[in-house]
Amino acid sequence: MQYIKIPLVLAAVLILVIVFRNRQRVELRAGSRVLVLALAAIAIVSIIDPDIPQAIANLLGVTRGTDLLLYLLIVVFVLTSLGLYFRLRDTDQHLRRLVRSLAIDDAIRKDGPPRSDADLGPDSQST
Amino acid sequence: MESGPTRRNDDVWVIVPCYNEGPVVRGVLERVREHFPHVVAVDDGSRDNSASEIAAAGARLVQHPVNMGAGAAYQTGIEFALRDPEAQIFVTFDADGQHRVEDVMAMVDHLRKSDVDVLIGSRFLGTVDGMSMSRRALLRAAVVFERMTTGIALTDAHQGLRVFRRSFARVLDLKAHDMSWASEFLTRMSEHQTSYEEYPVHVLYTDYSRAKGQRSINSVNIGVDVLINKLLRGR
Repeated sequence: MQYIKIPLVLAAVLILVIVFRNRQRVELRAGSRVLVLALAAIAIVSIIDPDIPQAIANLLGVTRGTDLLLYLLIVVFVLTSLGLYFRLRDTDQHLRRLVRSLAIDDAIRKDGPPRSDADLGPDSQST
Repeated sequence: MESGPTRRNDDVWVIVPCYNEGPVVRGVLERVREHFPHVVAVDDGSRDNSASEIAAAGARLVQHPVNMGAGAAYQTGIEFALRDPEAQIFVTFDADGQHRVEDVMAMVDHLRKSDVDVLIGSRFLGTVDGMSMSRRALLRAAVVFERMTTGIALTDAHQGLRVFRRSFARVLDLKAHDMSWASEFLTRMSEHQTSYEEYPVHVLYTDYSRAKGQRSINSVNIGVDVLINKLLRGR
């Protein structure tokens, strides 16, 4: 194994962390859209001329064009999964907020505000 | 106790999350209510008769229509209690009967006298009945983990009996849905430089609470959740 792989892997992990820490930033969201368009363009080009991915694979030292596609697919899959995971986390958080506020409003509508006379002893009508 | 129980802790809210605790929750809440007039039990989408038992015990009932986890239930209870402008002291208390009301009373009295904002119960400063050796070792490891991730050094990191002031209740904002709320609590303390003390408590490990309690393997989930949250603090 070449030692260059170690810093490369670390760099990839670091980039992931930075990207997801800042994932709300508008530049990043713009970046992901550009990436999608670029991927679509690559796909169209590859369909029209299958020799192009093969040429790029040779250039990068990957044996076959299909291997290159596989590697790209893995990268896209990991990014997609992480993106969905975080989107789901945010959605869960929103759902919890919504349910919480409904539950509290419901309780207050049924039994009154937290400090109602029913909670207090008969000698302490202080509301 | 000494004076009339109703007047005595009128500014205290005890928050009890409850998920399928039907067999015990009524007794637990009734014991709490002997000393604390304000108790809110959050029924976290239980499938048993927890809700009617809570109502029968005379506590305030807030019901989650779906199960959202202990952390979310605590947060709901805290937000409910915050709507009472006279609420000054907040207590997190377990519905399964492992905590003792005597400890809560001692902690609340201690908080009133001291100037810290948070009191955290510790099983290791106090005494424990029926805790297994492996459990003890795991909790020790959790303490080291908390110290590394939050910088807060406790003798007992995952003890749910905690007493805190309104100022801290307002900033707490628990986002963790599950048992990692106890860690998030500490994270929030370290973010806000909250002053705190530990207080010895006695925990009763009954067969019921042991059967209901978390399995030790769940600490893996908690640890990973804490690390992920830590990593993504920038959101």
